[in-house]
Amino acid sequence: MTDLLKSIGRWLDARLQLGQTIADVAAHPVPRSSASWWYIFGSATLVVFILQVVTGICLATVYTPAADRAWDSLIYLNYHQPLGWYLRALHGWGSNFMVALMFIHLLQVFLFGAYKFPRELTWVAGCVLLLCTLGMAFTGQVLRFDQNAYWGLGIGASIAGRTPIIGFKVVDLILGGPIIAGETLSRFFALHVFVIPALLIGFVGLHLYLVLRLGINEWPMPGRIVRRNSYIAEYQELVHKDGEPFMPHAAQKDLVFAGLIILSLLVVAAIAGPIGPNGQPDPTIIQTVPRPDFFFLWLFSLFALLPPWTETVLMLTGPVAVIGLLFALPFISGTGEKSWRRRPFSVVIVILAVTLVGTLTWLGTFSPWSPVMDAWSATPTPIDYVKGRTPLELQGAVLVQSKQCRNCHSLGGEGGMRGPALDDTATRLTRDQIVRQIIQGGGNMPAYGKNLTPAEVNALVAFLATMHPRGEPPARDSARPALPASSQ
Amino acid sequence: MTSIKLNSRSLKSLLAIVSLAGTFLAGCDSLPGRPTQAELPLRPSNVTDFATLYGENCAGCHGADGKSGAAIAMNNPVYLAIIDDASMRRVIANGSPGTAMPPFAQSAGGPLTDRQIDLLMRGIRKSWTGAPGAAEGAPPYFSSTAGDSSRGAQVYATSCQSCHGPDGRGGSAGSIEDASYLSLISNQYLRTIVIAGRPDIGHPDWKHDVSGQPLTPEQVSDVVAWLASKRPPPPLAQSN
Repeated sequence: MTDLLKSIGRWLDARLQLGQTIADVAAHPVPRSSASWWYIFGSATLVVFILQVVTGICLATVYTPAADRAWDSLIYLNYHQPLGWYLRALHGWGSNFMVALMFIHLLQVFLFGAYKFPRELTWVAGCVLLLCTLGMAFTGQVLRFDQNAYWGLGIGASIAGRTPIIGFKVVDLILGGPIIAGETLSRFFALHVFVIPALLIGFVGLHLYLVLRLGINEWPMPGRIVRRNSYIAEYQELVHKDGEPFMPHAAQKDLVFAGLIILSLLVVAAIAGPIGPNGQPDPTIIQTVPRPDFFFLWLFSLFALLPPWTETVLMLTGPVAVIGLLFALPFISGTGEKSWRRRPFSVVIVILAVTLVGTLTWLGTFSPWSPVMDAWSATPTPIDYVKGRTPLELQGAVLVQSKQCRNCHSLGGEGGMRGPALDDTATRLTRDQIVRQIIQGGGNMPAYGKNLTPAEVNALVAFLATMHPRGEPPARDSARPALPASSQ
Repeated sequence: MTSIKLNSRSLKSLLAIVSLAGTFLAGCDSLPGRPTQAELPLRPSNVTDFATLYGENCAGCHGADGKSGAAIAMNNPVYLAIIDDASMRRVIANGSPGTAMPPFAQSAGGPLTDRQIDLLMRGIRKSWTGAPGAAEGAPPYFSSTAGDSSRGAQVYATSCQSCHGPDGRGGSAGSIEDASYLSLISNQYLRTIVIAGRPDIGHPDWKHDVSGQPLTPEQVSDVVAWLASKRPPPPLAQSN
């Protein structure tokens, strides 16, 4: 039996010549300093991508890319297909893992100066892979055809529609028509399953080929300057004097980390379960709070917070400028110091970018700028604000709910955050100021004077005038004499 | 190239891996990530779970557990005893004119189907029936007589004034003669509170305003008529 297998192997190898190629790859020398735990993120991204291909193929055997049946096929996977939910969980969390690992890889490569001469095109191929992966993430989110997908797509199309002159053509191209309809999903299915994966596989091949041919970036040492005329000779010397074969020292770290990543993916998918789908993608259902997946949350926040007059310009030129800069980086700064210790500007850029994206992502998880549309009917008035109130004050508390003040203003930490919390209103505003604020609005609050009767305003003011922490007196009009404590 | 040999050690590892995978797969049904039926996304009009319907539509004003909210408690045995099914259904569906209670039926511009309104009514009754006999002898939900406001003043002085104060000045519980308050509350709502009280925030029911002297149906109608007489005309009528 073993002899037969051996002879088949020899027959194949004589014709394919794979054995020697694999042996060459395994034995190619890498700088000893590069066989480090810092150099494991790229291979881990690739391993997760392979897993995505496998789980994606399995999902494609069940998924129906038709607008009226896609959602049902996801529900079938989640609830009826044995282990269908786990497959979806692996694919969904796999995409999160892949995006996260790729960004870590990007930061590491940037900080280690790996994009510099002669690896400019390795970086460019990596940038294409970054865009493809984000493209996969977005199209994947659309294929999970639920309310988030529906509205996310609508927002994407409306951004594209801002393009001057050809805007409506671009929308037609994305959606397969002027609205999200039957053809939209087929289009995104084709992108997600054929076009972008083909690009990904092609560019992964190029990326790996370049890494092998040009050699892995050496550990950056302060003072070791990259010069076009001498770098290649210096690198060869380093590899020969202080190098070792890729197998086993460098590769084993890659393998261990890839194993850990797969294991954590298996565990996270088993504990957290599949991502969505949430409600049906039906625009007549207005009780929905659509959110993009976490990797686009920062964009969601950014677009929400941009001043309106800057929107069109920044939404159209911003991405082009950022992506352009990313591609141009090795051509702008292709030589010089590699070590991050000698590149303070790069370190500041990374810190700023991570802080900015992190903060915007965090804000995106609860979007304080959006009213909470069901707070008025779903979030009770805190019991402390109900007890001991007069009948009029209690009616004011009812009006805070029924007039939907609560959708923008929180009480006891619950409710909208668009306006200030009402818990300490009375310490900030006198009765007269509360009346003026309610009737005339101001500071982003609409005027409610025409929507409230005088009795309703009186009740609201009576309630809000009680909103001051115990021990902290309410605000007082300094032009009027202080009232005795009992009447406050 | 090395050949693959199946010795006893690798056989054992293989068995261990297979059995581990088997255990894992067999245990999938109980893994925390597996979606439960409760997580199945429903159209808002198909939600039939009482806790969800109440929590999303009613809890804001009527309190998390049917009590201690800003508006009248649903978790009040006297209230549940005096109001009939049709009336409760009608109030949820069409709102309560003269109060802050908005209509919830789709036919009146609200979000709920007739079936959901029925489920809410039944759910409220089922969840918070309360002690049997708590409402024995309670005056009816609807007034059968118009009520006499001059007699009502007497009832107020005997039964309400100790907390709500004389001459509209408000006592420990604040004034109920306040013009703004009376403009925001209907006669029916006043009647309901006089009978059922707000035990969750300390307002007694019809039996306990004065110990041992429950209010009669006529007295309830009278005091409501007296309070109604203090209600100012609506602002539009006033300007005309």
